[in-house]
Amino acid sequence: MTAHAGDAAVPAPPHSHRGRYLAVWIALLLLTGLTWGLSRSHVPGFAGVAIALGIAIVKGTLVALFFMHLWDRPGPSRLVLLSSLVFVALLIGLTLLDVSTRSPLALPPDADTAPEALRRTILEEEAAGRRSPPERLPRATP
Amino acid sequence: MHSAVAHHFESLEKQAEAQRLGMWLFLATEILLFTALFAAYGVYRFLYTAAFSEASRGLETWLGGVNTLILVTSSFTVAMGLDAATRGRTRRTAGLLGLSILLGAVFLALKAFEYHHHFAHGELPGRYYTGPIAGSGGALFFTLYFLITGLHAIHVLIGMTVLAVVAVRCWRGAYDAEYHVPVELAGLYWHLVDLIWIFVFPLVYLI
Amino acid sequence: MSPLPAGDPPVYAARNYLNTPATGLRSWLTTLDHKRIGVMFLVATLVAFALGGVFALLIRIELLTPGPTIMDAMTYNRIFTLHGVVMIFLFMIPAIPSGFGNFLLPIMLGARDVAFPRLNLLSFYLYLAGAAIALWGMIHGGADTGWTFYTPYSTTTTTKVVPILLGAFVVGFSSILTGLNFIVTTHTLRAPGITWSKLPLFVWSIYATSVIQILATPVLGMTLLLVAIEHAFGWGIFDPARGGDPVLFQHFFWFYSHPAVYIMILPAMAVMSEVVCAFSRKNIFGYKAVAYSSLGIAFVGFFTWGHHLFTSGQSPYDAGVFGVLTMFVGIFTAIKIFNWVATLYRGSISFKTPFLYFLGFLFFLFFGGMTGVALATVSLDVHWQDTYFVVAHFHFIMVGSTIMAFLAALHYWWPKLTGRLYSERWGLVGAVLIISGFVFTFLPQFLLGNEGMPRRYFAYPARYQALNVASSAGASVLAIGFSVVLVYLLVALRHGPVAGSNPWGSRGYEWETSSPPPLENFEVVPAFERGPHEYHDLPAAAPGAGEGRHA
Repeated sequence: MTAHAGDAAVPAPPHSHRGRYLAVWIALLLLTGLTWGLSRSHVPGFAGVAIALGIAIVKGTLVALFFMHLWDRPGPSRLVLLSSLVFVALLIGLTLLDVSTRSPLALPPDADTAPEALRRTILEEEAAGRRSPPERLPRATP
Repeated sequence: MHSAVAHHFESLEKQAEAQRLGMWLFLATEILLFTALFAAYGVYRFLYTAAFSEASRGLETWLGGVNTLILVTSSFTVAMGLDAATRGRTRRTAGLLGLSILLGAVFLALKAFEYHHHFAHGELPGRYYTGPIAGSGGALFFTLYFLITGLHAIHVLIGMTVLAVVAVRCWRGAYDAEYHVPVELAGLYWHLVDLIWIFVFPLVYLI
Repeated sequence: MSPLPAGDPPVYAARNYLNTPATGLRSWLTTLDHKRIGVMFLVATLVAFALGGVFALLIRIELLTPGPTIMDAMTYNRIFTLHGVVMIFLFMIPAIPSGFGNFLLPIMLGARDVAFPRLNLLSFYLYLAGAAIALWGMIHGGADTGWTFYTPYSTTTTTKVVPILLGAFVVGFSSILTGLNFIVTTHTLRAPGITWSKLPLFVWSIYATSVIQILATPVLGMTLLLVAIEHAFGWGIFDPARGGDPVLFQHFFWFYSHPAVYIMILPAMAVMSEVVCAFSRKNIFGYKAVAYSSLGIAFVGFFTWGHHLFTSGQSPYDAGVFGVLTMFVGIFTAIKIFNWVATLYRGSISFKTPFLYFLGFLFFLFFGGMTGVALATVSLDVHWQDTYFVVAHFHFIMVGSTIMAFLAALHYWWPKLTGRLYSERWGLVGAVLIISGFVFTFLPQFLLGNEGMPRRYFAYPARYQALNVASSAGASVLAIGFSVVLVYLLVALRHGPVAGSNPWGSRGYEWETSSPPPLENFEVVPAFERGPHEYHDLPAAAPGAGEGRHA
């Protein structure tokens, strides 16, 4: 059989990965506990979000590298995951850039970031019955 | 040559490489599928920060936490199952995959319990929302909550089905130390379901 | 590479994919052969094209007079929606990648099939299923939202928008599976000798297309699903009455649908890179630049979606970023155009039908591309937004270029697909009719848009009538042109002269096998020692159709 011109194939790893899996598992359990515990202390604002997402990224990286074998299998798979993450960042990033810098008048009127005067007017109009509140169905009986 | 090699591949190794790459590409599409929902979550969390934190605090965080531990553990058992398969111990693999399916079922049961709780409290999406939070924010939180966790639950179900098929074939001796790519691919899918939950947990429950 | 002795009469391969293993309908519908699946995709997409064309003609007839002509406003809304949906989702996105890509990509790689043949067949049936669901919706009233399904109108309209959304959703999966198959095939099934730097440019472009299909289509799928959920249950996700943000829908929609433009145009560029070499008998100028610019377009194409939202209330910062990023696409496209023109320079050009379409393509790509750069300028776009200028622009760049490439591909590879040659004389007639018909249909629309005629209305002020009549006249020339092509190609199917394995004297790898190709593509897999666009070691004169190929 001639050598293929394709990407180099990696031979199956001969040794067992059980120890590694065990370590990753324990790390994941600990990190879950950590993020849970930190959330109880209610770190305010952006820092809390950053910590929670940071821990999630560490956990996700562990799963992708070791459970999903990106660590010991170089080649196009890594590229696939990385490029998909680039586009995840792109969609979320540029969409958030839009809503965070958009003219307040182009945002939903009862959003936190809508102009306070506009919001107050809406609430007053709703209270005076000149404007219907967000449409709701009557609560279904369970 | 191994009987599992299709006519257009030159070797089992090459075929396995193609199947792995195909699976990774499929996983990329799954990631992008969820990304639309995560982006919507990000946008509405930005627009309705107060309502979203209030709604999120109303969730049973311990349920989300326990479910995270369960899924992480099921990922571990799947990985151990693959390890057994690489050494040809496919009966053991079948057992470990069965354990993972069981953990997946517990995850879904807890999720169903949680959903029941929301239904009872009127915490429903969009126009069905009758919960305590004023304005549109609470309703939108639960729209996204049900969309994200619902889509994830569907993926758990699909993953359990895939694991079950592979486990049965393992038990019947369809795979050996040389050929066990389907175990690996099913495992990749399950790990991705776990990976997505790892991000859903802090987004929905913690922040 | 097993050269035929010069002067041998062309041979119609006795054992080929059309008659092995069987010829019955059943053997086609259950086939796993990529060539048959490609041919089935071609037939299906051509049927969709004819349907979309009929809708287009109805639109142009309606717009002959300022008032109602043959239909009411509501019917008109449905007709232009169906025209867009059918043409985009059922014809332009799958036509070249799923049709020609399926047929050619494995052959160009020296492979026996795509990596996952069953997935490939599934992709075809998903296409059919999606088309059937959408068709069901059309028969039961159709939708009146435009192909863009903008919220909140699409979530409140009473027309059958949900089946059309679901149809597009299912067709999206077909697109994903095809892209997945192509990427894996390109990575793992290249024959010995075909390195990445010897990959045909067709493969490079199709590969780039597949990347977009994989990464963008899921977002569209999710978005369409969200609109369907919103329409059915009112979950408020894009509905401003429930706190939702309709502009968010536009972000999601265009995150797919702008790159989707490159799903249409990159395969067109794929075809043209092959055609330009074959008919100028020159090595491609700047192989690497052409190859990498495909990846560049695929990448940068993702950074531009916001230019559809300039007037939608999007933030001015986002608009600025997107406006500038959009212009980067112009750089990569220009790289390709310059390289193609440089390839022509001092080439031995033969004006065969595919080459005529290449010239048309160059015109539409250039003209459409330049108007695109103008539209990407935020201040100008505010003036042109939602006018016929935009309609004419995207018909030039997206439809004009893609159809030119589709027809060029159909003519260039017709001998490979069928083993027979079409009439070159009628080919000339068809090409002239289609190219001039296209120009006469859409040039007036640039002028109409510049004068301020908005799109998507079935009535207009009387001062726009002259240009509208001109546009409709162009459309009828276009229709005649397509009919001519259809007739002579069908005649050639039966009565065309036998082509032989390489009637054009092309150096592309796919011409190394017999025509039509055998079941597993090559009786003897060649060594692939030279590149697929190398003509420098050949005599300069182009062979006439039907001659034996130059060795």
